[in-house]
Amino acid sequence: MDTDNKDNPNPTILNASDLPTRQRDAHAAKRPSLFDALTQDAYPNYATTDLSSPEASDDSDSESDPREEIDEQEIYDLISTISDPEHPTSLASLAVVNLPDIFITRPASSTSRLSTVTVLLTPTTAHCSLGTVIGLAVRVRLEQALPPRFRIDVQLKEGTHTTADAVNKQLADKERVAAAMENGTLVGVIRNMLATCE
Amino acid sequence: MPSILPLCTLTPPSASRLWSSHPHPTLPLIATASSDKTVRLYSLASLDLESTITGGHKRSIRSCAWKPSSGVKSGESVLATGSFDASCGVWRRWEQGTGIGKLAKGLEKGKGTEWEGLGAEGEPEEDERDFTRGLAGGAEEEDEDEDEWRFAVILDGHDSEIKSLAFSPTAPLLATCSRDKSVWIWEELEDDNFETVAVLQEHDGDVKCVAWSPVEELLVSGSYDNAIRVWREDVDDWACCGLLEGHSGTVWWVEFEGADRFGKVGAGASDSLSAEQQILLEQRKAAGPRIISCSDDLTIRIWRRVPKEIKEQPTGQGKMPSIWKNRDFEEEWVQECVLPKAHERAVYAVSWSRKTGRVVSTGSDGKVVVYEERWKGGRNGEGDSAMADASAVSGRVEGRKDEATGSSTEWMVVAEVENAHDVFEVNHVVWAPRADKGKIGEDEEVIVTTGDDGEVKVWLLNDD
Repeated sequence: MDTDNKDNPNPTILNASDLPTRQRDAHAAKRPSLFDALTQDAYPNYATTDLSSPEASDDSDSESDPREEIDEQEIYDLISTISDPEHPTSLASLAVVNLPDIFITRPASSTSRLSTVTVLLTPTTAHCSLGTVIGLAVRVRLEQALPPRFRIDVQLKEGTHTTADAVNKQLADKERVAAAMENGTLVGVIRNMLATCE
Repeated sequence: MPSILPLCTLTPPSASRLWSSHPHPTLPLIATASSDKTVRLYSLASLDLESTITGGHKRSIRSCAWKPSSGVKSGESVLATGSFDASCGVWRRWEQGTGIGKLAKGLEKGKGTEWEGLGAEGEPEEDERDFTRGLAGGAEEEDEDEDEWRFAVILDGHDSEIKSLAFSPTAPLLATCSRDKSVWIWEELEDDNFETVAVLQEHDGDVKCVAWSPVEELLVSGSYDNAIRVWREDVDDWACCGLLEGHSGTVWWVEFEGADRFGKVGAGASDSLSAEQQILLEQRKAAGPRIISCSDDLTIRIWRRVPKEIKEQPTGQGKMPSIWKNRDFEEEWVQECVLPKAHERAVYAVSWSRKTGRVVSTGSDGKVVVYEERWKGGRNGEGDSAMADASAVSGRVEGRKDEATGSSTEWMVVAEVENAHDVFEVNHVVWAPRADKGKIGEDEEVIVTTGDDGEVKVWLLNDD
């Protein structure tokens, strides 16, 4: 890609070995179905991402007990390897995704079964035009990887972007996200970004 | 203390997200809009899948709308579908058991000259598209043919996804709305011709929902820009006659109060009412049906119109100056109250019962909540103890006074259920007349919810 056209031709890139991660077991196998699902014809199919089906079970064994912790590190590991749409680097290396900016809220009451994952993203520049795409990729990745009891809130971190409110409102709109994922071009971009995920 | 009890899940469920469901105006049938690009029609009598409409859209179907005259009496059901592919489809089906149905069917097959304007060569356009998957055909299959949905016309015009649509009950009009920030109004002429009569572009964001007043040609729309607008015809042109602001998040659903409901509170028994209460009811009757809305901001609000006083004609020229004309056209709507907070995440839909006046809501938190309006002071004939129980359990009683008159009614949560669709978001909820074999009363209603799990669930509000 022509560096002159990029938003931020010279981003600061962190060393991968400096990034927080958890040792992953070898059996956290790549799941081809994840990427196949990102086509215009196959919208995320919740009925088949049944917890009992082997394909859909979570990366590590955290879902053997449904209540066992999926913690912030787990979320980070899911999204840290997403590629930036412009640079051949991961969102973690670009410090777009940061562990301290990930929060999990457990179910509010004994009857509620919903947990909320909040991810605050820091775009590389305050005017980054790809904030929505990056946010969408993170959201899609989490929607595909996490069990449906998680509600997902992806936002640009306050003060990091000139149009953060507008971007955040789009990312929070389920209908908009659903329609975006039926757009072939956008799906292609997202698919490329998620291709580097484990 | 009322409770919401599950009756059943309609079978078979869909494999993909169901956005919304729409009860037929007269038959025990409900149309559900699916992200798999089909409409699944379930019978509320046998509680199973009755038919499917496929092939008309290239993307998710987001919403449907029945023409109010659909049914056995008119001989035909008409369903409009709104899709993310930016088009609106119109589908027709003859309803069994009527001579009218069979007669009209015969006319159509004969391709007689009465049916002009069907297509460029004068052939009915239906013949060129096989949406019945080969089941329809020659005269020998006429009987099976009658049960099939026939594609009538596609309405193009919107630039991006259609979010919602609605037929007017008082005029041959269809309203559609879209992410392109506009509301279109179409007039239905003969023979599946729909003419665009207005493209309304006042909203600053996606228009999420539209609904018609049951008693006049008045349209309401809710938007991503957090505002609600009302629209009506000003002489020749449709225009915005009111702006309802107050929500701090996207307005997901708007609806008018039922035609038989406005001017009533609770069960509607009006003999034991005080003078003050009678006056309030009269004011409501004069103002017309109220509007209810729900939003990303977790609230559900009710809005009422402030009727204009009768203006005297200005004397002199005998011709109304245009400034008076504009003032007559515009309407004043105020926020009447905010319903007690019951949801923890965005509220996607509310439904206002045409029979009981109760409101049911649902949203991202997976809860289904029922509210009721009561006179303050427990004069609803149910006794103070019932109200005390209700408040103790729900812990929420609110009767906000907003502009104009202080309110002598309040809304209370009367029942709620969590995890209605397991851990999935519930996208839509609606009251529908009960039709299954457990039905007891004529006016009995069920609650129908549709969720991200692809299921349609039917619930009973148990009044004990």
